[in-house]
Amino acid sequence: MAFIDLINVSYKYPGQQRTILHDINLSIWNRGCTAVTGSNGSGKTTLSKLLLGILTPVTGLVKLNGQPLTSMTLPQIGRRIGYVFQNPDRQIFCATVEEEISFGLQNQGLSPDQVLQKVKAILDYFELTRYAHTFPLALSAGEKRRLAIAAVLALEPDLLVLDEPTAGLDPYRKRLLGDYLEKIIASHKGVVIISHDHQFIARYATRFIRLKNGQVVEGQGA
Amino acid sequence: MNKLDPRTKIVIILCLSTLAVVLNSPIPLLVLFVLTLVILSTFRINFIGIMFKFKKLLPLLLVMLIVQSVFAAGGETLLAYKGINILTSNGFNAALCILFRMLILFSSAMLIMTSSSKDYVLALVQLKIPYEIAFMVMVAFRFLPVFLEEIKDTLIAVQLRGVDLKRIAWGNKVKFYTHFFTPLLWSVMLKARQLAITMEARAFRVYRRRTYLRVLRYSVLDYYVMAFFLLTTIMVLFYVSLDKFSPGIFSMTDHFQLSPGKPLLTTVALPVLHCQKYKKCPDSCSSGLIKE
Repeated sequence: MAFIDLINVSYKYPGQQRTILHDINLSIWNRGCTAVTGSNGSGKTTLSKLLLGILTPVTGLVKLNGQPLTSMTLPQIGRRIGYVFQNPDRQIFCATVEEEISFGLQNQGLSPDQVLQKVKAILDYFELTRYAHTFPLALSAGEKRRLAIAAVLALEPDLLVLDEPTAGLDPYRKRLLGDYLEKIIASHKGVVIISHDHQFIARYATRFIRLKNGQVVEGQGA
Repeated sequence: MNKLDPRTKIVIILCLSTLAVVLNSPIPLLVLFVLTLVILSTFRINFIGIMFKFKKLLPLLLVMLIVQSVFAAGGETLLAYKGINILTSNGFNAALCILFRMLILFSSAMLIMTSSSKDYVLALVQLKIPYEIAFMVMVAFRFLPVFLEEIKDTLIAVQLRGVDLKRIAWGNKVKFYTHFFTPLLWSVMLKARQLAITMEARAFRVYRRRTYLRVLRYSVLDYYVMAFFLLTTIMVLFYVSLDKFSPGIFSMTDHFQLSPGKPLLTTVALPVLHCQKYKKCPDSCSSGLIKE
């Protein structure tokens, strides 16, 4: 059984005529790296939000481990799937960089020592230690993206969905992110990358899905 | 009706809002609310959606009902617990007034959506409002949906990181939102600063005089509609000042006497709700109010 199943899923935004996604049937496993590509407005972000249960399909069903997403709450889904938004500003809400990373860990019920240890490791890896007590929104765009990714990666979800993760990152930071993704994949967890960065996805992805006119045109069932 | 001048729409909104604030009794407010819905339907606005949105305000209304009943005591006691009035006719009336007032204010504001924000800037400028202030109003309209979207996304991010907003206790909820709104406020300030730089880079306020491609002109219908709304509002205000509208749907006259047996709260708090029934009494009067 796949980790996430999309069964005959169609979606259009309320008040709009255009159907963004038509009758999608897709299975996502929590193993390996899946890349989702497509031109602007092809429905990549919409697809990712459907995978997380942020959006509910107009028709069809999305299942997580065989359970319909509509029967689960966002915190329940968040324990299994990590999501990095296209715009990192929208997922940063704590007063310091350190707090931003520890927020989810504290909600997972880890002891203060474990939280501290994990936060330190993540801050070091993403080279954010010197900003530990900085207000997150005062960081540069690239730093904010690194922080958003780090805050989600710290939770070690079974599947990680990254929407345009390399936007604003320099080549060195891209490689750091790629190395971390490889580590995640090696620990038998899945990654879904939505990106226009063909070089990046060609290097790390093992499966490719292309969206065109609201439908999966390539890589279905691969 | 959608083709009306934006200035006429502003006048309609102002008239409806003024009446909503001035009227202080449930029945006239209900009539005004029905009238507002009729006006919205002539503008082809789907107002049924608003009613469903107000479902979320029901707990607030319930709190208001209890608060009003306790602090604006008086009238008939509808529900009491161990001698404490939980629900009184005065409280019920006051809560109804608040509900209808909010419904009218929000519904009438929906008229704004029937013209573009650019038209409102033009309208305000032609109403002799300084361009800077008119532009600020437009920016507020322009960015409101963006901020709402941002708040929605941030709340999703919070939930995905393990917080069940529906289950956290009230005390923690307040703490959480205080914690959450500080960065949000900062983000708004950052955006405002970026917008100011962008505007200045595009020559905002370089020249004192601005020219406009389009100039708004009133049609005959605009004059009729405006005259109708202004005259009706003035007439209602005049009637209110003459105390033509009774204060509530429950009879409360008996409870207004300043008798020695009445609790102080009743004699002091009631006139606040129904002040149109009273006039200022001489200094010798201890409560400061007397029945007309």
